[in-house]
Amino acid sequence: NPIVIDLAYNYIDFPSLENRM
Amino acid sequence: PIEDLFTTLNRHIEQSEFEQAVKVADQVLSIAPGDEDAIRCKVVALIKADNIDGALSVIQSPKSSPIDFSYFKAYCLYRQNKLNEALELLRSQENNSASMLLKSQILYRLGELDACVDVYRKLQKSKIDSLEINFVAGLISAGKASE
Ligand SMILES: [K+]
Repeated sequence: NPIVIDLAYNYIDFPSLENRM
Repeated sequence: PIEDLFTTLNRHIEQSEFEQAVKVADQVLSIAPGDEDAIRCKVVALIKADNIDGALSVIQSPKSSPIDFSYFKAYCLYRQNKLNEALELLRSQENNSASMLLKSQILYRLGELDACVDVYRKLQKSKIDSLEINFVAGLISAGKASE
């Protein structure tokens, strides 16, 4: 089978905590 | 104070210490139960720690109900191979790059290759890294290798 990369994973991001620290 | 916990949490995230990040997010949530940033951090850290079941259970807990986790939930369902459920969830989502990418990966697994390739065609404008790898996989599997 051809290779498929889980590109959707790259859109699982943490929120910015800039204003919480 | 909560600021110190977030500083620690941020450090764990930057160092990819996702299990530690979950623990600190829980510490925040013990002080501030509905804190959206902490809940979001916990869900993402669980996914990145490969604990998909754990992420889903946080997403489905009552405290998370004000937060829009549709994309994360669809992604977790995809990881659990609950493909139709994941696809259904994406139908109510706006068509951004993330939801379209996930949709194309789900369609690929479902063997709906023409639909999969159609989504990749639409995504080509978005300049996503490595997109062509999945596009080619879809084309080959759909028997359109000549493209
Ligand atoms: K895949």
